[in-house]
Amino acid sequence: MTGDPVLRYEAGLKVTGQAMFPAEAPMAGLLHAVLVTTPIGCGEVVDLEASQARLAPGFADLVSYSEAEALKPSGVTALIRERTIHFPGQPVALVAAETLQAARVAARAVTVEVRSRAAVTAIDQALDQAFAAATVGRWPAASRRGDADAALAGAHLVVRERYDTAVNNHHPMEPCAVVCAWDGDTVTVHTTTQAVFGTRAIIAHAFQMPLTNARVVTRFLGGGFGCKGQLWWPWMMLAMLASKRTGRPVRLELTRAQMFTLVGRRQETVQDMALGLDVEGRLTAITHHALAQTSTHGDYSDTTARVSRYLYACANVTTGHTLVRTNEPQPVPMRGPGVGPGTFALESALDEAADRLDIDPVDLRIRNFADHDQDAGRPWTSNRLLECFRLGAERFGWSRRPARGTASGGRFRIGWGMASSCYPAHRQACRARVQLNADGSLLVQCGTQDMGSGTYTVLGQMAAEALGVSIAEVTVELGDTVLPEGPFSGGSQVTASLAPAVETATAALRAKLTRWATDDPLSPLFGCAEDGMAFRDGLIVSRTGNAAESLAALLTRLAPEGADAEGSAAAPAVDQAFTAMGWGAVFVEVGVDPDLGEVRARRVGAVFAAGRILNPLLAKSQYVGGLIGGIGMALHERTVTDRASGRILGDGFADYLIPVHADMPAFDIAMIDEADPHLPGGIQGVGMLGSVGIQAAIANAVFHAVGRRVRHLPIRIEDIIG
Amino acid sequence: MSGRGFDYVRAADSADAVVLGAQPGAAFLAGGTDLMQLSKAHVQAPGLMVDISRLPLSMIVAVDSELHLGALARLSDVAAHPDVARHAPLIVAAVASSASGQIRNMATLGGNLLQRTRCVYFRSDDFPCNKRLPGSGCGALDGENRQSALFGASAACVATHPSDLAVALVTLDADVDILGTAGARRVRLADVYRLPGDTPQFDTTLAPDDLVTGVRIGDAARFAPRSTYLKVRDRAAFEFAVVSVAAALRLENGVIVEARLVAGGVAPLPWRLTHSETALIGRRPGASAFAAAGGLAVTDARPLVQNGFKVDLLRRAVIRALETVGGEA
Repeated sequence: MTGDPVLRYEAGLKVTGQAMFPAEAPMAGLLHAVLVTTPIGCGEVVDLEASQARLAPGFADLVSYSEAEALKPSGVTALIRERTIHFPGQPVALVAAETLQAARVAARAVTVEVRSRAAVTAIDQALDQAFAAATVGRWPAASRRGDADAALAGAHLVVRERYDTAVNNHHPMEPCAVVCAWDGDTVTVHTTTQAVFGTRAIIAHAFQMPLTNARVVTRFLGGGFGCKGQLWWPWMMLAMLASKRTGRPVRLELTRAQMFTLVGRRQETVQDMALGLDVEGRLTAITHHALAQTSTHGDYSDTTARVSRYLYACANVTTGHTLVRTNEPQPVPMRGPGVGPGTFALESALDEAADRLDIDPVDLRIRNFADHDQDAGRPWTSNRLLECFRLGAERFGWSRRPARGTASGGRFRIGWGMASSCYPAHRQACRARVQLNADGSLLVQCGTQDMGSGTYTVLGQMAAEALGVSIAEVTVELGDTVLPEGPFSGGSQVTASLAPAVETATAALRAKLTRWATDDPLSPLFGCAEDGMAFRDGLIVSRTGNAAESLAALLTRLAPEGADAEGSAAAPAVDQAFTAMGWGAVFVEVGVDPDLGEVRARRVGAVFAAGRILNPLLAKSQYVGGLIGGIGMALHERTVTDRASGRILGDGFADYLIPVHADMPAFDIAMIDEADPHLPGGIQGVGMLGSVGIQAAIANAVFHAVGRRVRHLPIRIEDIIG
Repeated sequence: MSGRGFDYVRAADSADAVVLGAQPGAAFLAGGTDLMQLSKAHVQAPGLMVDISRLPLSMIVAVDSELHLGALARLSDVAAHPDVARHAPLIVAAVASSASGQIRNMATLGGNLLQRTRCVYFRSDDFPCNKRLPGSGCGALDGENRQSALFGASAACVATHPSDLAVALVTLDADVDILGTAGARRVRLADVYRLPGDTPQFDTTLAPDDLVTGVRIGDAARFAPRSTYLKVRDRAAFEFAVVSVAAALRLENGVIVEARLVAGGVAPLPWRLTHSETALIGRRPGASAFAAAGGLAVTDARPLVQNGFKVDLLRRAVIRALETVGGEA
């Protein structure tokens, strides 16, 4: 069952349009809300002139900083409680009206009087005010192992280059939205969130009420990639305020243009990288410093340079992260955060070293394999990177790699490149509940939300397998704070967190049922040993196989209302004995038109080792999705700020290019299924792993095709012919 | 939509459309693939949408050597029509490289020719733009101008014309049939477009109530054996040209006797490369002739800060297009 390519649990609902996404929650008497934004990037709101808006047909309510003072101060509510303007497009009010059209008309009738100050619209305008990041995620922002400068001075080869990556936006198909309704002091909030429980907690805090007074529901999510987190909360709360004041349900959905400014971005990076290598191609030194943008209302740094601390063996490593504040939107994690941009620099530089040392890029990486986590000074739970290289090279045909610049296909020069992938395996505390009914059906519940990646399916698979019932008999309930608490979706950790909780819950239920059967004189299993009892095909079967009883018969007799059990798994302790990571190797063939500059990915071969694979169909879908996102980052995606105004230019899919079907290469995905004995449940995340490595692999392939090293993303026509 | 109201009326016939189109704030609605975007983005806010989509102007027919394309012919129908493929494969190539399959199913020939620029400063009312709001300035001139014009721009406007089809039709000397208040007339498509000068708000020489009813291409078939549309773009499909080149040659006894070279994505209108064309006449196809034509294509280019790469890209694209059409027949 687990390990099988089971089709998506909710596939039928989704393709027939019956899956209810948060913005579609039906509510009687619904008001529609529109945000009023300010064009300036820095200053204060002096006044809101809304008398015309209030006279507009269908107007119902306007909430702004004055009304938001009712919310308890916090980092989340600051943006809507204060009059400070941090970036262009920042909402300063919300208008609710009878229809969406009426709300738009009324919102445009609001005049925002502002006091404007000079805005910083680019990193290079404030380099003199750069400051060291406090942390990168839950790790120190700076690190130093050995003496990298001394090692660089004595290195056989030094590669010292700067690598840049552009601002990207997440852009799930489903924009952020909320439909909320108050009933007295309690509120139900259907919203697009990667964290239903975190959302409930912040709502309870802001509105100063018990957790139980708020219910957050996210049955289905149309993707998130990191943008359905805390930056959405202030705008969601404006809608909740309007709902509370009017006593009516309110719906707010961000526009595509607002998805560029209001819910985060992948920060641009300027990465200074130096590698020192000995004559054998072994790394003797790495220095990796990342400069990145953050906003004037929050500090955020990706873990960009951190990957250089552990991916390869090297005695002398220095890394650091520096931030510059601009009046641009706040960055947040975006798929493959840190590791994607960071490996673009590290894996590009390594390719440059391979070229200059005339060592095959795969071979160079094998020579630098890290047999333990040198950053933390502890072993890996597992590291199958070498196997990923071997299998990946074999499947791609790497040994037949042509000489640089020699292969052609029509007007295109063909290039092959590769890079390593890795991503830390995370896990959180989780609870899950299983209930077996007398009709033989199985209910599995966990409050955590499904990002669209297959949580419903794998949860059903795990529970069905453990209790020996058919997947067709399983009902899965997710995405609701009335269910047992589960993790937020981020860092590819949901499945890894769920697995041990489901195992605990199903083990408890098996034990309960086994005891009932062996204790009941009416059961064929009466008196059998409890050890070794098997659950299969809807039966409990004795160890010898000589006695069995159907679950339906047992429950009908002893628990007609059904039997249930809860399970939970704790978050891993901070100080672990091992480091858990997923690994991969990505091989790419590109076609580059050397005269006209067009770059197209033709073929991608990737091998990943990320623990136990519960469902290869879903895992492959995650990997391919990650790789496509990486192709976009490498060749297309670039959020552009107009430096004169600080506003985002081309804030729609007409101008923010993402790969289309015609850009899709052929994908060959292989997974090394492994039993990781040091991980509860043996599960690692897969979603992020696919988004890492492909960027550098493409840049390396471009170099192989036409001999041009492009050190910034996205790679465009002018980089090839310029 | 934008939230602001507008009136909608369906034109009974072409004459009715012209009368309705003469009303202040009126706009013709055909496929709607551009007008709807502009309206939603507050770029263009017609008070009266005159729906012409049901007028009988979608015929595609070859009359002797002349190709007649109705203004309301869908792009997908134009690209799939055997007469178009026989007389003017260049049109098929240009249309097939445009937009996406879904958009080609909606967009009309007339609407495609009259679509507005994709300049990002024009497409959002957050920014200054003399074409959208005369007198507000040009944001692209000193801002993001990677996509801006190399030729024909002014201090007021550096926007480019986005149509692939227009480039092909100018290459083939197409005429446009227009019905206006004063009656029907026929003008060269090349004369419909105008340079921005100090009044970039006017893309064309047409009056607001001029209704494009069709396009005629005479003797297009003479170029059919040697014509190509080369489109260089930032992704493989569903994207406007960074630079495009339509090339058409006619040879007699191995010598070029007629040449057409028109560039897209580099000017406020399909940009005819007359110097290059002239230089090709009387020469045999080959590397030196093509290189000379490529060089002459860009001698008048006036790049801005970010679009300098398009100068060399255009030169290369001209050479590539000529290589494609200049081989052994």
